[in-house]
Amino acid sequence: MTSMLIGLGNPQRGDDAVGLAVARRVAALELPDVDVVEVDDPISLIDTWCDADPVVVVDAMSSRQPPGTVRAIDVTDQSLPDDGRSAGGSHALGLATAVELSRALGRLPARLVVVGVEVHGVSTGSELSAPVRAALDSAVSAARRGLEGGGA
Amino acid sequence: MTHKLTTGDHILAADPLARVEGEGAMRVVVTDGQVEHVELNIFEPPRFFEAFLRGRAWTEPPDITARICGICPVAYQMSSCLAIEEACGVSVPEHIRLMRRLLYCGEWIESHALHIYLLHAPDFLGYDGAVEMAADHRELVERGLAIKKAGNALMTLVGGRAVHPVNVRVGGFYRMPTRHELLGLRPQLERARDAAVATVSWVAGFDFPDFEQPQEYVSLRSPWGYPLEGGSVVSSTGRSFEVADFSSVVVEQHVARSNALHAHLDGRTTYVVGPLARYALNHDRLSPLALDAARAAGLGAECRNPFRSIVVRAVELVYALDEALRIIDGWRDNGPASVLVPPAAGIGHGATEAPRGLLYHRYELAADGTILDAVIVPPTSQNLASMEEDLRRFVATRLDLSHDELTLRCEQAVRNYDPCISCATHFLDLTVERS
Repeated sequence: MTSMLIGLGNPQRGDDAVGLAVARRVAALELPDVDVVEVDDPISLIDTWCDADPVVVVDAMSSRQPPGTVRAIDVTDQSLPDDGRSAGGSHALGLATAVELSRALGRLPARLVVVGVEVHGVSTGSELSAPVRAALDSAVSAARRGLEGGGA
Repeated sequence: MTHKLTTGDHILAADPLARVEGEGAMRVVVTDGQVEHVELNIFEPPRFFEAFLRGRAWTEPPDITARICGICPVAYQMSSCLAIEEACGVSVPEHIRLMRRLLYCGEWIESHALHIYLLHAPDFLGYDGAVEMAADHRELVERGLAIKKAGNALMTLVGGRAVHPVNVRVGGFYRMPTRHELLGLRPQLERARDAAVATVSWVAGFDFPDFEQPQEYVSLRSPWGYPLEGGSVVSSTGRSFEVADFSSVVVEQHVARSNALHAHLDGRTTYVVGPLARYALNHDRLSPLALDAARAAGLGAECRNPFRSIVVRAVELVYALDEALRIIDGWRDNGPASVLVPPAAGIGHGATEAPRGLLYHRYELAADGTILDAVIVPPTSQNLASMEEDLRRFVATRLDLSHDELTLRCEQAVRNYDPCISCATHFLDLTVERS
């Protein structure tokens, strides 16, 4: 089965776009058998990821860590830590809900890893912040480890 | 979170509100058995879109404003296109209007299916949310997601993407889908329409609190059917005015506790936009299938119980699918994908019916097309005052409910509006960025 890298985020909300930036870097690597997609509505992930394995989702994260901190979480068998809001965005239903709804509907990929990058700012119209830009290489590496079946 | 004060008075609070787009909180204070104070707090960071638009080119608002809301980008694109085309003295030909209407149907399908199945139904069935509901009612959630997916497919074909369409431009589209491509969607849309009819009878069977709202209803009314992509403004008290007069009738006021502006008619009358208003003022424009579904669900000429908005939303879901199929069946491949919209100095207004209600845009352009001023009045900010009024009246007659029950009902009273808090948030200081 094809593996999939999903970048999640809003390109006009500063560091919320980090998932998209990582997805573009991975796409440029032209890895064999890896689909790279960009998504900005988390609930559509349920249909996007159900036929791929493994799947890595890269998203902005807000968890009181230093900006640029990269964290990989394997959510195949555990829930994503979530305080009720989707990281960095203002979506109706966030990534954590998409993961759990997929699990309840039996549509979760056999292996699903979330790579989070801690944000510095998500104000409208801003660019990626310096600490998040500096973390892109490490986020790409974490995503590749996830795609190769390890790293979380 | 709820608190009980040692004095025996109650403060009901839900902080933050779950299952509304963006972030918000509400506060209801009851003293001596009377509702003393009701407020909806908006603490989504202020959005700078209106200021952000100043100095940009006249061609940019459809792409920029689409990012205001992840749920209703088409509404922002359509209202901005209408306003800019009016400022430039251009009106688009009939086939472009129809394709816009088709795209808008896709957004209604996506948005209404999401709200009915994943955000609102859990309230009526006693679940905390969609995930908990899915554990017991997997087939129902699958049905809702399948309807939403049909909307996604329509948005992807016409808009170029399922979310934040990239195919829309001032003057029309970058590329028109072909009749052949559109017909390819037919089977999926037909299945979704059947599922939508089933949705109406499902939600019509829910238990609804006995509650009616007296507020004035406001929506667009158009010669092209149930209102979506344009029209003029009408109300349940007989008001009727052109979109160009919107900002002289609707007065927005800043409320200190909130980043959002509250809108009133003539600066004092609270009003409601959205499915209940559209239905009351346009049910004669529904298709026969949608009208039959409404009658079978027990809806009369108007519905004033906001808790039953889920039924009206389901009727609109039937209509959007029916209308999409009608447009596809009549589609002929001819005419350009867009018309030229040369810049001109002037002011233009545009209003369309977003899933949550009337969305108004106004732009002032310089002769070279530079945007000098932009005003966006989203449906949720128009409904904020009514949400507070509903809460005040609803709580006043239900003080006998348990604390948890009353809190849940209040949250539900807010979710009736499918509020999009992030859209509703304005930044008041509009002059700071002016250069």
